Formats: sequence, C-alpha cells, structure tokens
Amino acid sequence: MNKRLIFSLAGAALVASVVGISQPDTAEARIKLATLPDKEAVVVRFDHPNQVLVEEERTISLQKGLNTVDYSWAGTNIDKGSIVFRAVDVNSKVEILSTSYPPGEAALTWSISSPDARSEKFRLSYLMANIQRETDYRAIVSNDEKSLTFRHYFKIRNWSGGTFDSADFITRDGKTFEKGLDQGEAKRVLVNKWEKVSLTKEYVYDQYRSSEGKVMTDYVLKNTKEMGLGAIPLEYGKVRIYQDDGKGTTAFTGEDWGQFTPIGDDMRLNIGIAQDIKVELKKMVNDVENRRGNVYDTNEVDEYEIKNFKDSEAELILVLRVQGEWEMQKDSEGYTSYERIDNETIKFKVKCPAKGTPIKLKFHYKRLNNW
Amino acid sequence: MNRIALLLLTLAMTAPLFAKEELVTLPERDSVQLTIYNSEDCTLVSEKRSLSFKQGNNRLQFSWANTLIDPTSVEFAPVGKDAQDALEVLDISYPAESSEMLIWTVACTKPGGYTVEISYFTSGISWSAEYTGQVNPAESAMDLTAYVTVTNRSGEEYEDAEVRLVVGVIHLVERIVDLARPRYPAPAPAPPEAPMDKAEMRKMARGASPEKSGGGMARPKEIQKAGLSEYYIYSIEGTETIPDGWSKRLRSFEIKDVPLKTVYRLEPDKFGPYFTKVLEFKNDDKHKLGKEPLPDGLVRLYKKMGDGRLGYMGAIFSKYIPKNEEVKVNVGPDAECTMSEKRMSLKKKDLTFNQWSNLVGWTTVEEFETEVKNFRDRDVEIEIHRTMAGKFEFDSDDAWEKHDADTQKIHFTLKAGESRKLKFKVTTKFGENAK
Repeated sequence: MNKRLIFSLAGAALVASVVGISQPDTAEARIKLATLPDKEAVVVRFDHPNQVLVEEERTISLQKGLNTVDYSWAGTNIDKGSIVFRAVDVNSKVEILSTSYPPGEAALTWSISSPDARSEKFRLSYLMANIQRETDYRAIVSNDEKSLTFRHYFKIRNWSGGTFDSADFITRDGKTFEKGLDQGEAKRVLVNKWEKVSLTKEYVYDQYRSSEGKVMTDYVLKNTKEMGLGAIPLEYGKVRIYQDDGKGTTAFTGEDWGQFTPIGDDMRLNIGIAQDIKVELKKMVNDVENRRGNVYDTNEVDEYEIKNFKDSEAELILVLRVQGEWEMQKDSEGYTSYERIDNETIKFKVKCPAKGTPIKLKFHYKRLNNW
Repeated sequence: MNRIALLLLTLAMTAPLFAKEELVTLPERDSVQLTIYNSEDCTLVSEKRSLSFKQGNNRLQFSWANTLIDPTSVEFAPVGKDAQDALEVLDISYPAESSEMLIWTVACTKPGGYTVEISYFTSGISWSAEYTGQVNPAESAMDLTAYVTVTNRSGEEYEDAEVRLVVGVIHLVERIVDLARPRYPAPAPAPPEAPMDKAEMRKMARGASPEKSGGGMARPKEIQKAGLSEYYIYSIEGTETIPDGWSKRLRSFEIKDVPLKTVYRLEPDKFGPYFTKVLEFKNDDKHKLGKEPLPDGLVRLYKKMGDGRLGYMGAIFSKYIPKNEEVKVNVGPDAECTMSEKRMSLKKKDLTFNQWSNLVGWTTVEEFETEVKNFRDRDVEIEIHRTMAGKFEFDSDDAWEKHDADTQKIHFTLKAGESRKLKFKVTTKFGENAK
C-alpha cells in the first residue's frame, strides 16, 4: 500500500515538526496526524568558519512500500540545497528514491521505499543561516604580569527563525555544550579555562602602529602546551584584560582583538599606551652622495632618544622601516640586539634605564641607488 | 497543468478558417519523451498521440498558450509505415489571431487510426548536476554521490515522461526562449491559476514507475549513461511527472571510498591569490570512477565526524570533468596550514647610463623567504607556484622546477607540526640590461 507521511517543520521549525500518515488516494483531503516523532538529537556545529550545520534525528514510522515524507521549513533560513537526509543505520534497507521541490515553498518531499513496516531513525543535516557566533576571551593577569588566567567564551545568537529546545552546540575545536535557544535569543558560554598561562610583556615603538610615535604595551601569549595553552587553535575574538591589583580585586587594563592563533603561534594583544616611556626621533644627518647621472645614494642618521620614567629598567622594541635598497652602517649603536625582519623592516632591542635616564639609539643607514 | 492542446477539426471545404469548424476529438498524449540540454535553455519534446483520420483532408489544430514553445520547431510526423503511407502534411497555417497555435492540413489516403509524433523545442525545462562528498576524517577518501535535478518552469506539465538528459555543449543560433515569445503584442495573459490543492501537489510530486509501484520494495531509479557523438545522454529509468514549477532530484550514482589526496596549493592562476586546501581525485578506474564524464555542477563536501555525523567543509562549482581528468576541489584557505613570503633583501647593480648620464638600465637582486607552517596533526603535501615578471633569473638551493616561462614550482611533504623555510633569489634585468 502506498502510504503518505507528512513530516513538516513549519514556523518555529525546530520544535514543531509533525508527522502524519494518510492513505494517498482515498484520503488525500483528510490528512490526520498519526504520530509525532520526537527529535532525539539536535546538534549545531560551528566547524566551518562561516557556515552553521544543524543535524537532527527523527524516528519515522514507515509502511511497507512507498512512503512520501514532506519536509517544510517556512520562516526559517535553511539552505535547501545543503540538505543531506539518510538513515542513521548505515546498513538500513530503506531507500530514499527521490527528492521533489514544490514551486515557491520552503519545502520538499522525499519518496522513501521501505521493505516492511518499521520505525526507522533518520538523520537530517542542513546549513542554517543567521545563527551568529562570536568568540571572546577574558584574561585575568597576575599582579606581577608574569601569568594569566585565560577564559574562552563562545557566544551564539539565533536569528534563524527556528527554536532549539535542547541542542548540542559544538564549537570549531570540538567543545560541546547543551543548551536551549529561542529565536532572537543569545547565549554566551564558557567553553575553556586555562590557568597559569605564561605571559610576556613587551613595550613596542612602531610608527606603523602609532603615527604619533607612542610606545605600545603588548602582552604576547604563546599558544603552546609549555606556556599553558596549546590545546586548540585560538579563534579570532575580543580579549578583555583585567589585572589582579594585589588586593583581591581586579582592574580593567585594556582590550584588543585577538587574531586567529594556530597551535604554536603567538597571540599579540595591545593593552594600551606605555606613557612612562617616551621616544623622540631626530634626523641628525640627511645627505645626498655618490651622484652618478640621475642616480644617487643617501647617508642618513636617525637618532632615537628614549626615556623610561619607570622605577625599573625596561626593554623597548623599536620596529623601524626603510624603503628600497639600504644598508645599515657599522657605527649604529645603542641597542642590545637587532634583527632584519625583512628588507623593509628592522627590529632593535634597547635596554632603557629607570627613572628617566635618557639613552640614545643611533641608526645609521645608507639608501642606495635612488633615482 | 496541461496547456498544450491538440484538436482534430472538420470543416466545410470552402469556408474561411474557423468559420465552420467543429471539434471532433481531443486526443491525449500516449507517451512523451523529454530530451533536456544543460548547456542551453532547450528541451526537445517528442510526444506520441493516437488520432483517427478520415479520407481526404484533415485539419489538426495544435495550440500551446502560456507555454515557452518555439513555434518554428513544431513538427508533425506519422509513426510507422502504414501511417507514413497514408498521411501527408499538405500545409501548416499560423492563424493571425493567435501566436500560440498552428493548424496542419493532413491528407489521408486510407481512413483509420494512426499514431503520430509531434515534436518541438521548449525552453523553461532545465537540469543540473550536483555532488555530495562525505570525506573521511583523514581526508584520504570520500563517499561521492551524484544527483541530477530536473526543473520544470515551462508552463506545461508533462505527465509520465521519459526523461533524457544531455551532457554537452550544443550550438544554437537563436535562443529558444526568444523564439517562444510572440513577435507581436500578445493578448492579455490569462489570470493566474488557483493555487493547487496541497494534497494534489503531493500526489503530483510522486514519481512514476518504479516508485509508484505500490507495495513492493522500490529501489532508486537507474540512470543509464551512453555516449553520443560529442555528448553523453543520461536516460532516467521509467517515467517522471514533474509539474510546472517543481524540481525533482534523483540519484545518478553513489560510490564509496573514492581515494582522495589533500594538497595545500598556492597557484594563483587556478585557485586565486590564497594558499588554499585542495582535495584531489581523478575521474578514472583507480578512483572507482571513469565510467562517464562528470557534468558541471555544485560539489558540496562534508566531513565525517564519527558516529555518522557530518561537518561542513565547503562547496564549489565544478566544471565538466572528462573521463580520466583530474578533479581539484578548492575548499578554501585553512588557518592550520599557512604560508607567508617576505622579501629579505633588495640590491640594485649593473647600473647603465647613456651619453647624457641618465640611467637606462639596471639589475635588481632580491632574496625572498617563504615560510610554510603545518599546525595540523598530520603530514600534508604542499605545492607552491611562484610567478616572476620581466627578464629574470631564478636561483635556489631548494628543489624548485620550471613550470612555464614565468613560473617556478615546488612540491614537498611537510610533517605534522613542522615548518619549512624556502629561500630563493630573483635577479631581474631592466631597461637596456634586459635587451
């Protein structure tokens, strides 16, 4: 006998699906709800950086022979082309014969053939739009700024049109939490907490990052097990930083966007300006030399006077840039080390004595073969 | 909704057209075959009808109001030797008052019932291919399922139609949809149909045999594939009814464990400017494929997450893939395997001046460093293409090889959690130095 079975997902889709069975030709006009299959598992996955995959399971009562299952999702944002429908039991004898799409409807119809009357569990996977996700972090830095407690939150907001009574939400790194989520509702969940994460504090002078020549204060976290992290790649997200004030409370010391940080890489967070370290740049020499026709070299000396008004010595990193072909001259001085990052970028480390004692970095270079 | 009508008319011999005609029969279609092309909006409809003809001239009216039929393509052909001997089309009239009608005058030398074939082109019926790949966790194999989806927006419902799908690019000099439009102002369009009863729609959605064969266990329809000239024809088993406005998706084939290779590639001319993850297989026997070309279509990839669950990897539109051709599916950049290039030094040399001491030639020497990092917990294959411009020399201790005049390439395996720095020097001559 050719049975029809209606499995609709309408309106508040994910909680309101119904299954009805009727006989097709004699009773088309009086479809009755006969069973109401419960959703046995709903999983919402965030593996993909831009797409959200929803999976749900339904046990559907099938009659021997051909069954027609209708599925509709009016008012929700399901990508119908992405729908994958299959029996959970990979050895199931049930066959899905075809899928039909009616015009102008958020619906489809499966033709399913069953060798006998049975209850079969099916799994349905589809992409759903307008479920927003956001990662953010909260760092509590120790009073000595040597370590921090790092909390990782995952926030979801549901604008999909559907409602999730109870679902397993799985983050990109495989963390699972079970929640209900209504249409329009948002939830923020603590998914990871790492204690005693090692922290490096850096003072950085970089004209690309601050055109006013201010010194930035950065925290650098290494996403490795040795440093207390390294369990998962860290997603892009806002990091709010608080510091233990030594009196049992914390103070907010800044925030930054943490870039996606694979395992093994660094996450650099700018917490603000280090106002106690001042840098003044003076161009001491700027000569043209070695003219050949319309080609010339330049001889340039940049002098950076650095004052550290803190009570303790500090190390300043100066990231300087020179365009074109150039060579540093040997009489450059005032640094503890330097590294040519690339052709245009050089990084100096300078020890800055405490209490405002000035120190000078002399950067002598020649730009060659200009025209 | 059937909008195509065939009327057999009788008329007074000398009367003007339509003056004294009278309806004799309204023969149904006995069968219909749709041959749908995917490269053009073009479908060949061949339908067979049984008609009774009287001795002498018979007038046969064929109309197709509110459909997308090309009037220039409508053909009438008797089927079988008896019919061919007895019937002859004398003329075809296109009445002035209707752009969606024609009348054949068919001479009959032996009265009786005959089968005739009426064929025509229509636009509005299309088909497309789609693929779903379920990739195993190691990304070493996938279960590949191919589907064909037929969509009917022609304005006509073809019940129980044999469906054939043509893979290939045909040449048309005019679009069918343009030919289908009236060449002069058409009458006001008919009012929209009342919405179809939902139950009726579902009934229509049910396929024809073998799906509607009742109590027995049905199986997915076979889709037979055969080559024809430069084309491939997919014939869907049995018949299909696809109401106007509906689409129907059928499984074309399903193959388990198609071997797969993952390569991270920087190949700007093929995959854009990003270092990207590419899943690769070949449409050949070794990959359990190669029985037919794979028509162009959207490929959606899901990753098996264990316990039958899926994760979404990405989707890409794949071009037509001939037999034995490689398939490379770009699933996009992957933050867990990264590549960055830095220019570590720049030097200019061999400056050449003309008699007025103006620079007319120079040579640059640039040293580059490309760092590839594999943050994944498994080994990965890497291929990088690096293109240079102008008159250059490329020098490296790494195993780069020439890809074309401007491009060097390197292929290697990077172990789990490791990184590798590639160094190369590019010497480029400019101006007089390049001559």
